[in-house]
Amino acid sequence: MRFVTPPSVPGFNRVVMTDATLVRRVLEGDTAAFTMLVDRHAAACTRFAIRMLGNREDAEDATQESFIRAYRSLGRYEERQAFRTWLFQILVNRCRTAALRRQRRQRMFLVDDNAVALASVRPAAESSGVREELQRAIDALDPDQREAFLLKHVEQLSYDEMAAATGVGVSALKMRVKRACDRMQWLLREVSDVGT
Amino acid sequence: MSAPENPRWLNEIGDELRREVPVRAAWRSQLLDDIARLPVPTAEDEIDDGDRDSPRRSASRRIVLTPFTSLAAAVVFCALGASAMYVALASRAPGGRDIIASRSRTDPSSTASASATAQELVRFQLSAPNASHVALVGSFNEWNPVATPLTRDPATGTWVVSLRLPPGRHVYAFVVDGDVTADPAAPRAADNDFGSANSVVLVSGRTS
Repeated sequence: MRFVTPPSVPGFNRVVMTDATLVRRVLEGDTAAFTMLVDRHAAACTRFAIRMLGNREDAEDATQESFIRAYRSLGRYEERQAFRTWLFQILVNRCRTAALRRQRRQRMFLVDDNAVALASVRPAAESSGVREELQRAIDALDPDQREAFLLKHVEQLSYDEMAAATGVGVSALKMRVKRACDRMQWLLREVSDVGT
Repeated sequence: MSAPENPRWLNEIGDELRREVPVRAAWRSQLLDDIARLPVPTAEDEIDDGDRDSPRRSASRRIVLTPFTSLAAAVVFCALGASAMYVALASRAPGGRDIIASRSRTDPSSTASASATAQELVRFQLSAPNASHVALVGSFNEWNPVATPLTRDPATGTWVVSLRLPPGRHVYAFVVDGDVTADPAAPRAADNDFGSANSVVLVSGRTS
């Protein structure tokens, strides 16, 4: 069966077609429907990956891998779960893998203690700007806490959705978010009066 | 929009971090090109690269034998052996009969009607006196919320249904007035099927 490509009226398709409908259309052969899924979710996925990994290059790689894996395993998506949650489940794993890969790279190449020390010095040019400070504070969180904090307070997933995306229990996630918030508040107080 | 119960500083941080991150046009174009080169997915597709990212409806993946996988296989076989032994022992326990789940233990007589095809009659029940509609969804009915309604016992407010299930592990949940809820009297699904509240019933397939 061949579907007619929907009219490209901005916002039109977003209103009339749910993610689940788009998935069904892809599975029925209308691959253009996946473009709409990419356009709906790429920005949020990239944002999450950048916050998790700290740089756009790694984040784009992780997001790209996530969409490709999602496309290839689209037949396994079940509509009882929100597509976004399902996609984030893949993305969270890709980000974890990317972070591990980066750790291995650093272990392999950053063996010079002086080089490590110099690399960790904060560049003066980046010392201003709320977003940079926020990103530094996020980078300073443990990866588990960072992941939970971003999913909860940036991507605004429910705890049930977070549990689905991370494979971690709701209680543990609440604890991670709490600790992340405490740590963020402390870190940001160090550089400004955000926490007061 | 931030949750109202959050402190102001946290809302401000959330709002700042939530600002749109532009998607690079070149990146999007490359991604769509890569996807266009892939075969069109179908409902029956399986991933063959050992991907563990997404929930699976069934598991048939290519296995590469390495020392690690051999060790892992040994561990898995031991675990399966222990599980089988547990199922066998538990199924002979008084009151436990053939089905290892709280759902079946509530109806010991159910196993008496086990069919010759090794399917077992499993009784599901939920106490929900204030509910107006309760249904059973699970791996055995394609999670169809209208396929298996429960009937209410007016005397107790308990909703019940009995199903014949093939031997194996079945994940299920109740739909109470539209809300999916796990069976409070049964083990939760240990895996990460979809992260929502599901329960598990094991059907042994033995007949007594």
